[in-house]
Amino acid sequence: MAEYIPDYVGTVTKYVFVESPSMTAGELALRAYEASEGVLIKETCFGLQVTGEPESVDRLIEEIRAFDPTHIFVKDRGFPPGDPRRCRANLGGARPGYLGHEREFRLLRYISRGLEELDRREEGDAEPAPPARGKRPLLDIKRLQELIDIEES
Amino acid sequence: MAKVFIYPATSLILSDLVARFGHKPLGAALGIRERIQTAGVDSPPLQITPEEPKRGLKYAAVEVPSGVRGRMAIYGPLIEEAEAAIIVTDADLAFGCMGCARTDELIVFSLRQSGIPILELKYPSNEEEGVQFVAAVKKFLDGLPKEEGGA
Amino acid sequence: MSRKVRIAQLSCGPEYSGVQKEIYEAAESVDAEVFFPDIALADVERGVDAFGLDVRSADLKLMIARAMALVEGKVDADGVFIGTCFRCAEAAIVRNELRRYIHENSRLPVVSYSFTERTTSGTLLTRMEALTTIARRRALLAREEQTGITMGVDSGSSTTKAVVMKDNEIVGTGWHPTTEVIKSAESAVADALEMAGLTREDIQAIGTTGYGRFLIGKHLGADLVQEELTVNSKGAVYLADHQRGSATVIDIGGMDNKAISVIDGIPGTFTMGGICAGASGRFLEMTAKRLGVDITELGPLAMKGMGENVPMNSYCIVFGTQSLVNALAAGSSREDVAAAACHSVAEQVFEQQLQEIDIKEPVIMVGGTSLIEGLVHAMGRLLQTEIVVPPHSQYIGAVGSALLASGFIKGE
Repeated sequence: MAEYIPDYVGTVTKYVFVESPSMTAGELALRAYEASEGVLIKETCFGLQVTGEPESVDRLIEEIRAFDPTHIFVKDRGFPPGDPRRCRANLGGARPGYLGHEREFRLLRYISRGLEELDRREEGDAEPAPPARGKRPLLDIKRLQELIDIEES
Repeated sequence: MAKVFIYPATSLILSDLVARFGHKPLGAALGIRERIQTAGVDSPPLQITPEEPKRGLKYAAVEVPSGVRGRMAIYGPLIEEAEAAIIVTDADLAFGCMGCARTDELIVFSLRQSGIPILELKYPSNEEEGVQFVAAVKKFLDGLPKEEGGA
Repeated sequence: MSRKVRIAQLSCGPEYSGVQKEIYEAAESVDAEVFFPDIALADVERGVDAFGLDVRSADLKLMIARAMALVEGKVDADGVFIGTCFRCAEAAIVRNELRRYIHENSRLPVVSYSFTERTTSGTLLTRMEALTTIARRRALLAREEQTGITMGVDSGSSTTKAVVMKDNEIVGTGWHPTTEVIKSAESAVADALEMAGLTREDIQAIGTTGYGRFLIGKHLGADLVQEELTVNSKGAVYLADHQRGSATVIDIGGMDNKAISVIDGIPGTFTMGGICAGASGRFLEMTAKRLGVDITELGPLAMKGMGENVPMNSYCIVFGTQSLVNALAAGSSREDVAAAACHSVAEQVFEQQLQEIDIKEPVIMVGGTSLIEGLVHAMGRLLQTEIVVPPHSQYIGAVGSALLASGFIKGE
């Protein structure tokens, strides 16, 4: 049985996702590098991975979030960046977690909208409630008629 | 700061919102990180050795498949540590650490049994639901103690 | 050095059972690499809808979508390994259906396996070796005729067999119980050579198979060292003179059983295993001993009995033996007990293994147990078909090895 000697002991790695109309992953990376102060930054297609001492990472994350608070999202990662055990090149395909991110990435615009709306509303103004199952905004009858007319014309 | 178990435990959205609103998200990454950073017997890719399904016997009987018990060895201690939980009930496309439906059922059940405060909700599917989702999560998290727990 | 064989892994749970490393190691030891077909989330959603199996577990959905990518040719592979947790019903359904789907819709060889946390690379090795052989040695496996003078040695868990072949004929055979692996092989080889009237110097190429294949192969300086799945498939269709088209090969061995769905002499899908020795030749050996007959007499004895008269479940060799002893104590005839033992073993193999492959006629039974008439009869009744037992069926591995070894004669 081979012995396992870990790298990056005592560090944390976090994913930073950006889903913003005003900031690309590349721009995010540039600004993050400026603020990095020794925290390891790896650019990815969806944003960044940052790795370092927990306190340093927390500080950097706080700064990064401030770039575009409602469009930047952060999540813990178990592996350090570029780990061959998770690398697409070695696995032949994306690790399963990537597809899970894909699933939630589609929803981020709704979350951004929620964060913006909550910022806008006064404290206590919002009446928070879990989304009702299957409830969708109703289509106005006049609007429906218009749509039918357009289709048939 | 409360320790909040997130379900799906791999969720970007929940991990973000819990941390954003001042609490500590407990998810799969913490369990995997602990294993990846601990020396021992080499067992790629996740450093989960055949010993882990045996540890999982604490949470599920021997006739339960090894994959369930191995996953529960990651989640069981996190569930025990959790002071609150947020559960998305329609997380049907969460893979890997969350990829086994039987484990997922057991996680949700264990959380419900534990007596901690739980928020259950569905993923938003439009902007209006997005607002409701974020508002519900924020209200739930605001109601949790800020100073207790933590490291 | 040849290109690594690429085996697509479709699985749920090995990383969490702590056995992914074992899969990697088994593949590595046969110079293959496992990989995970790359697909996007949209492929998963589309794939699950199109396949029509509504499973709950996301990793099983991923398996389905990856299988479709392989069949549709979007991802290239040389073989497929399907693995899911033992005792998971949802995964077992997916595993079975995907195996069938890939087998029917592509030329990719498939092996499926249900693992526990105790699964080791050793257990997976033979299966991986067979997968890579099929991918790497298609030309060799296409051989339908033995040429020159070759020898095959099958070092099995119970017995060691040797065969000498000359110009497409079996001219010498040897058979010894496996005690010390090399000594038993030496004895079997000596007998086969003596019967053939030949010496070691006359042999132009040697092939070995069975559990002891590596050790014997090294000792004899074999040209071909090959696992028994491909060798037995080849040997079975050769001896049964059914080299083209579909066939099913069943080999109930001393320690484990093989069920192989063969197309043109090459395994398509196969299973190997046996949960318990109760479903193996070993149980029949014990039965014969208890009945006070030689194993060669058990078959004819069973043919005279009615298995239905004796309740027997050989799922476990201990309980199986217990019910055998109970039946005798209760006054059952030896014939009925022998028949019940044969039926029980056939039933275990039928329930545990034959469900994992597609049974296509002819069904060819090989290996030492194929000489136990009662067992062949019981299997035929379960499968409702006339089972083919070719001549020299007990030498199957040795014949297959000798046949394939002739591809290594210089000048060939």
